[in-house]
Amino acid sequence: MEHTSLAHHLILAGLLFALGLTGVLVRRNLLVVYMCLELMLAAATLALVAFSRFNRTMDGAVLVFFVITVAAAEVAVGLALIVALFRQRGTVQSDALTTLRD
Amino acid sequence: MPDGLFTFFAALTLGAALLLVLSRNAVTSAMGMILALVGVAADFFLLDAYFLGVLQVLVYAGAVMVLFLFIIMLLDTEDPQGAYPWKTAALGLATFFLLGAGVLWLFHWSGAVPTAAAGATPPELSVNPIEFTTAAKSFGRLLYTKYLLPLEIAGFLLLVALVGVVSLSKASTEETA
Amino acid sequence: MPSDYSCLVHWILFLPLGAAALSALLLRKQGTLAAWLSTATAFAIAAISFNLLRHEGNVTWHVELAKFGDLSLGFGYLIDANARLMLFVVSFVAAWIHLFSVGYMKDDSARGRFFAGLSIFMFSILGIVVADNLLMTFIFWELVGFSSYMLIAHYFDKDFAAAASKKAFITNRIGDLGFILGIAMCLSLYGTVDFAALKDHAAAAKTIPVAVGALLMCGFLGKSAQFPLHVWLTDAMAGPTPVSALIHAATMVAAGVYFMARVSFLLAPDVLHFIAISGAGMAALAGLCALAQTDIKKSLAYSTLAHLGIMGCAIGLGHPELALMHMAMHAFFKATLFLGAGSVIHGCHHEQDMLKMGGLLKKMPLTAATFIAATLSNCAVPFLAGWYSKDAIIEAAFHGEHIAIFAFLSLAALATCLYSGRMIRLVFLGEANSEEAKHAHESPWLMTLPLIVLGLVYSVAGGFLAHSIIPASSLQPIGEALKEASFHLTAPSTIVGLLSLLIGFGGALKFYGAVRGADALQVLSPRTYHLLEHRWMDGLYRWYIDSVQRRIAEFVAFLDLLFINGVAVRWIGGGVPAVLGYLTGRTFHRGQVRAYAFWIVLGTLFLAWFLIAR
Repeated sequence: MEHTSLAHHLILAGLLFALGLTGVLVRRNLLVVYMCLELMLAAATLALVAFSRFNRTMDGAVLVFFVITVAAAEVAVGLALIVALFRQRGTVQSDALTTLRD
Repeated sequence: MPDGLFTFFAALTLGAALLLVLSRNAVTSAMGMILALVGVAADFFLLDAYFLGVLQVLVYAGAVMVLFLFIIMLLDTEDPQGAYPWKTAALGLATFFLLGAGVLWLFHWSGAVPTAAAGATPPELSVNPIEFTTAAKSFGRLLYTKYLLPLEIAGFLLLVALVGVVSLSKASTEETA
Repeated sequence: MPSDYSCLVHWILFLPLGAAALSALLLRKQGTLAAWLSTATAFAIAAISFNLLRHEGNVTWHVELAKFGDLSLGFGYLIDANARLMLFVVSFVAAWIHLFSVGYMKDDSARGRFFAGLSIFMFSILGIVVADNLLMTFIFWELVGFSSYMLIAHYFDKDFAAAASKKAFITNRIGDLGFILGIAMCLSLYGTVDFAALKDHAAAAKTIPVAVGALLMCGFLGKSAQFPLHVWLTDAMAGPTPVSALIHAATMVAAGVYFMARVSFLLAPDVLHFIAISGAGMAALAGLCALAQTDIKKSLAYSTLAHLGIMGCAIGLGHPELALMHMAMHAFFKATLFLGAGSVIHGCHHEQDMLKMGGLLKKMPLTAATFIAATLSNCAVPFLAGWYSKDAIIEAAFHGEHIAIFAFLSLAALATCLYSGRMIRLVFLGEANSEEAKHAHESPWLMTLPLIVLGLVYSVAGGFLAHSIIPASSLQPIGEALKEASFHLTAPSTIVGLLSLLIGFGGALKFYGAVRGADALQVLSPRTYHLLEHRWMDGLYRWYIDSVQRRIAEFVAFLDLLFINGVAVRWIGGGVPAVLGYLTGRTFHRGQVRAYAFWIVLGTLFLAWFLIAR
């Protein structure tokens, strides 16, 4: 097989997404959880670019541009939140953050 | 577009992502993340989206991950040592294999997506800016015509995020002071 | 020679905005600098708008800001003779009031805010004057309301000032509700808010719906303090005196009159008739009420109400030019009266009670001279400013064969002379009635110079203004209307004017000289005094709010509590999770972020499966 097909890229994107999701579920360090979230986002953009390429439209690619922009803003705010959380609670382990239960 | 390149980068991406998920050390995780993002960027290149690939490396692997590393080192958190609780590990494995199976079924075995037989070769590139081209110029044209309003909103969003971050960090310093 | 002077209009409009922004943002601490900046701007635009008087022809200038289907919203100027007159009057009077304020507010700690407020007010009022469509007028209309609110509440730490500013704002909102409905109606009927286009439509249509005019009139009722929304104006005197002079005497309240003149082609005969009757009635009533006020500024406020009634009446009679003419003359002498009152208050160490003044003629000669000149103009003494316009309106009422209106206006003329005479007698003649008045002193030149210019020059030279300047300049339409109505003055208005002058002014001087330190009318007939002093409309509003509106609000609150809060939130919103939590024994609710994430993922996957399999 000389060329990759759309399915190859989609499977790669899907597996990356699954890995990221697994990380979100099993990891306890909020920073790592956050990175896994970003990985899921990257997987989604990969699928978008693949669709865009094989459908011959720019719209998906432009959407990726916006996703990257929004993700950058999101990372900034999210990390600020994590830092604020750390300052107040002294930890970033999600197991220790169970205030919502009570 | 040889298949070998794709296989290599796909393996690299998945391996780096595995490192990210499994590593005990947050810094190692971040390294894995960088590698995975570079792998995704490489895949963008393979898909002829050069501009997005460069953007991915610059913004994600560059700026965002540096920020992550910086925060990780600033907070200097230590993960608790010891084995994973078997429940968590089982949950993770189950999720991954379930999802993976779902993905393979959806994109490969179900036949919903054209595979090697039907549409292996990517369609030829065109020069029409609305259709898929490799030029950054066509990005610019779309951004400033069809997607002008989203662009403005994205810019505004960045400003809001900036203000939000400033006020967040300010509020917490006041509390500790 | 018609020329395009829209460039000058840009300057007129945006200079004060710039000054306001600069003062509000950068000069909050540098009061003196802000004061002189604001004043310099005011004089600059006064000079420019004086220059505009030389220009002839109407100028239009328009940019489109937004387009929704067929509806185009824009920003533009429509400068005609009325607008030029109004621009000149507003900016000229305002400039001298600015100068007066520099002296009056010398010791105020928040001068930056005050002068920023004055400048933003200038921007707003000039915006109304030049606006070429209803929507732009409305926006500036609201800005005027805002700046008036700011300035009335200048002493916001005092309860009465805060309450008065709220009252002014809310009362104006009620009128503005009608205004915006009127705009909506214009849009739905004619599909445009442009004055010129509306005029064409109105000319083409045989009859104008009464509702359009009636709704637009609501804005006028609020802003110009016409019955029944007049209640805010007397309370608005809580602001600093220059503010009262600028906003609540000379310009803002006149904006309503100007606006009515601008859309007079949209007013159906019924609406005009209502404005005429209510205006005339209010003129008489407010004039009489002024007799029962001891606060010098409140008394003047009632006098303003009376004059606004007369202007409204002129519009109702179909003579918008006369209304504008009276507005101009009134602006000159009423600004002088208020500034004079400010000077008196300043001189008497912030004493506002007229009964405690007296004998100030000798102590404050300049103030007294200008105040008396303006008062005489207010009473329409022949050949002073007020005479030309006011008698012309009375004359128009007589010729219009509205006997009731003519009678009301005559009564108003008499009342005007009565309260003017009372004011002069109490404040300037006789003996000083308090320590403050005994130690009164003349105000500094910064305050007396505006008085001299505005009072002596323009009250006394009203005839010059009416005879020469206005007909000779580009304001011919107004001048001609004036000539037509006023310069072959026949018996009725002259007789009414002179009689009321003799009886009213002379009588008041004698009557109020009889009792010292108290109000003669109150001593003579406390019941009459109380009848005039009591604020019946305020009582009515209070009753309405307490007994009607509050009941409705309580009922709605009860419904909210019962259905939305009770059934929807408590039972459904709280019940479902409670029951589920009880049944599952907190399997879901363990406070672990990862557990929540897991359930979210499961739900999402389920949704995705559902969508794909479908």
